[in-house]
Amino acid sequence: MNLVRTAFASVWLVGASTAAIAKPIAYSHGTTVMAEYGGGTMKEAQVFYAPKYFLSLGGGYLELESDIDGRRREITYARLNYLAKRWNMEDAQANVFAWGGVGQAYMSETNDHVFSWNAGGQFDYETRRVYASIKTDLHHSSDFSHRVDTLQLGLAPYKHDFDSLATWIVVQGRNYTGGIHEGGEWALMLRLFKGGKWLEAGVTDDGKLQAMAMVNF
Amino acid sequence: MKKLSLTIFTILFATAVAADTIEMKVYGLVCSFCAQGIEKTLRKNPATADVVVSLEDKLVAVATREGQDISDAVLTQALTDSGYDVKGIARTQRSIEEIRAQIKAKAK
Repeated sequence: MNLVRTAFASVWLVGASTAAIAKPIAYSHGTTVMAEYGGGTMKEAQVFYAPKYFLSLGGGYLELESDIDGRRREITYARLNYLAKRWNMEDAQANVFAWGGVGQAYMSETNDHVFSWNAGGQFDYETRRVYASIKTDLHHSSDFSHRVDTLQLGLAPYKHDFDSLATWIVVQGRNYTGGIHEGGEWALMLRLFKGGKWLEAGVTDDGKLQAMAMVNF
Repeated sequence: MKKLSLTIFTILFATAVAADTIEMKVYGLVCSFCAQGIEKTLRKNPATADVVVSLEDKLVAVATREGQDISDAVLTQALTDSGYDVKGIARTQRSIEEIRAQIKAKAK
């Protein structure tokens, strides 16, 4: 847990002088469909359409299941993603994204549906060989507040080009707050993408599946 | 002097008419997953015949249809609207096939 927190703090400090990575906005007039399965604790699906390269609109579904007491949240939300800043460098790109939205959450322990809102941000930095990103995502209501912080560091064994398969080895650290998961979590993943298709899968430090699939069109 | 001016003008005009490939140096090209919007946007232009993107060369090349052109301003706007920075535009005599072949050869 402390290790994860220290890692997050370090990346914030290092990142402040560079920039940011994995993007909630693909490109102008592009649609992104994403599904993620997170170590038995979270499941999320999102669909976004970007009318501009710096803006996307859409919605998602997030299911959080506590491995502490079995409570479950099912949050359906509408969201706006905004690219606040981009740095295009000769051999790198960095981004700062922010997002926010509103939704409805189902709480299993009371069988109630409540209004919820969400807010988050991401900072990423990427070259063709290395990448780092840090993301925070908060879902809040009058009855709960859950935040999922995710740090990713990636290394590509070779430089891919526009029409070739990209391969990345990714280490992910994740921290859940709000009584969902006790402590931090690490995962080692393999990421592959080509054209508009993206697939990553790996295993967490307690042996659970961590996976994400994404399509841009 | 007049003769020299005429010669220079003729050379430049002939080059402009014959040029059918536009090569752009673009910054921020590091991820094919994200850069595919560039190709999609440029192919929407009716004057576009073909598009090649090279992350290695930071290059976006556009072949235009015969007798047609796309202005620098339109190309720069298209790239900017895709979220990238254009650092240079050149009209060249390299065909898009040559560029594609050179990119492939470099990759080997």
